[in-house]
Amino acid sequence: MAASGVAAPTRTEVLQLYRSLLRVAREFCDYNIREYTKRRTIDAFRDNKNLTDPSQLSAAFSDGKAQLEVAKRQTLVYSLYAPKVKSIMDIKPS
Amino acid sequence: MASLLLRQSLTKTKPTAIIRRFSTAAALASPTEYEEPTGITMKGVKIPGRPLYLDMQATTPVDPRVLDSMLPFYLSRYGNPHSRTHLYGWESETAVETARAQVAALIGASPKEIVFTSGATESNNISVKGVMHFYKEKKRHVITTQTEHKCVLDSCRHLQQEGFEVTYLPVGSDGLVDLDRLRKEIRPDTGLVSIMAVNNEIGVVQPVEEIGKICKEFNVPFHTDAAQALGKIKVDVEKWNVSLMSLSGHKIYGPKGIGALYMRRRPRIRVEPQMNGGGQERGIRSGTVPTPLVVGMGTACELAMKEMEYDEKRIKGLQERLLNGIREKIDGVVVNGSMDRRYVGNLNLSFAYVEGESLLMGLKEVAVSSGSACTSASLEPSYVLRALGVDEDMAHTSIRFGIGRFTTEEEIDKAVELTVKQVEKLREMSPLYEMVKEGIDIKQIQWAQH
Repeated sequence: MAASGVAAPTRTEVLQLYRSLLRVAREFCDYNIREYTKRRTIDAFRDNKNLTDPSQLSAAFSDGKAQLEVAKRQTLVYSLYAPKVKSIMDIKPS
Repeated sequence: MASLLLRQSLTKTKPTAIIRRFSTAAALASPTEYEEPTGITMKGVKIPGRPLYLDMQATTPVDPRVLDSMLPFYLSRYGNPHSRTHLYGWESETAVETARAQVAALIGASPKEIVFTSGATESNNISVKGVMHFYKEKKRHVITTQTEHKCVLDSCRHLQQEGFEVTYLPVGSDGLVDLDRLRKEIRPDTGLVSIMAVNNEIGVVQPVEEIGKICKEFNVPFHTDAAQALGKIKVDVEKWNVSLMSLSGHKIYGPKGIGALYMRRRPRIRVEPQMNGGGQERGIRSGTVPTPLVVGMGTACELAMKEMEYDEKRIKGLQERLLNGIREKIDGVVVNGSMDRRYVGNLNLSFAYVEGESLLMGLKEVAVSSGSACTSASLEPSYVLRALGVDEDMAHTSIRFGIGRFTTEEEIDKAVELTVKQVEKLREMSPLYEMVKEGIDIKQIQWAQH
């Protein structure tokens, strides 16, 4: 999956990807999926923080972009079929 | 009509509102009779929202990444993978073969050894009945355990009715099978040893490597039901020396209705097919291979391989949080099954002096189960707990908590809070508990007969 000759992503690009993933996570109407996407993004970026090899960096970056596309599509699909009643974890105690 | 749609999309109405406006009465039957804005009423119970899900051994939610990979095969790539003459068939077949390789990679096998079935139950049936029917001239004996899944036990009972002999090995109080006992029970005419890798009710991990070694020594085929083990613990068919392995899709965040059967090629194990027909899946399981489901299972297996370490670390922490949280607040909590040889996502607890059905009725905001989904219909306590030697009263009060990839810390905390509250409430009302607090030993009481 590592494309030779593709430049490693810049710091700005990585941060933009991170913020986009977290933003798309907020749009999931399902509590569990939303929390998982947030948590997995944070943990994955933290684990890859110390990568230096350019091919590894661009591989991780393209993987992140692919996941972002999947997440964008799935937020739409989940919202089309959202149950009328939310999960109990989403209901604030009144 | 077009301007109405344009206006709606410009004012950014939610997609659901647009769809409901134009849906006809014949649209998909949406089960909204029990859902109102204020909550859900079903079977006489009213809860403000959907319960938090802690029943991962019964089934798991479909991962959005899995759903994403399946949808194209329901929309445009709907071909039959066995159609050899056009693009639809070719692209379907490519997808099926890719999925096959993904499943094989997770268990350390070759793609040629994977047969897709409709689920682990079908795979178990093919393994147990298929193997014994094929070798029925020479082999008349099957060894299994008392804690197997119902489908294996039922297949063995069916074999018994046909005249085969079956040995049901007992398990210790920790749920593990006794290896010396297994060694003693193997006979020259033993055709199959079937022992599940991870139990669905108590979560105990059997010593499959040692069992595999024993079976290799005596040259007996070894079948294991790895439905609960796949993607959760490291599965390696070479190290375990299994000849047959049943896999299930909906336990690893994949779709329901799909499973697989691993069949060793060296040395080759032969089975008699249970589904006859056009010879698909190498003649073992005829029938059109359901491309979307197979693709879903393949994606789920690939995800499991990538996420196994991360998930396991997390789920272990959540399990400890759950157990410690409950144990801090109440006593008389017993864990059923060995604590060391256990899959971390399964926690089966018995609460002393509490009645199981009433505990479950009070835990309506948490989706858990007592016993396993397949036995919860009957009133009998689970046969697995009975095989462990658990007392009847403790067996009745067992609850199985299933933790998975999508479980959060807040859910665990809420489950702890609700369980503790319910158990304390029931114990307050229990006269037996009052006697225990006064120091009376319940087992010594001579109950007077009227």
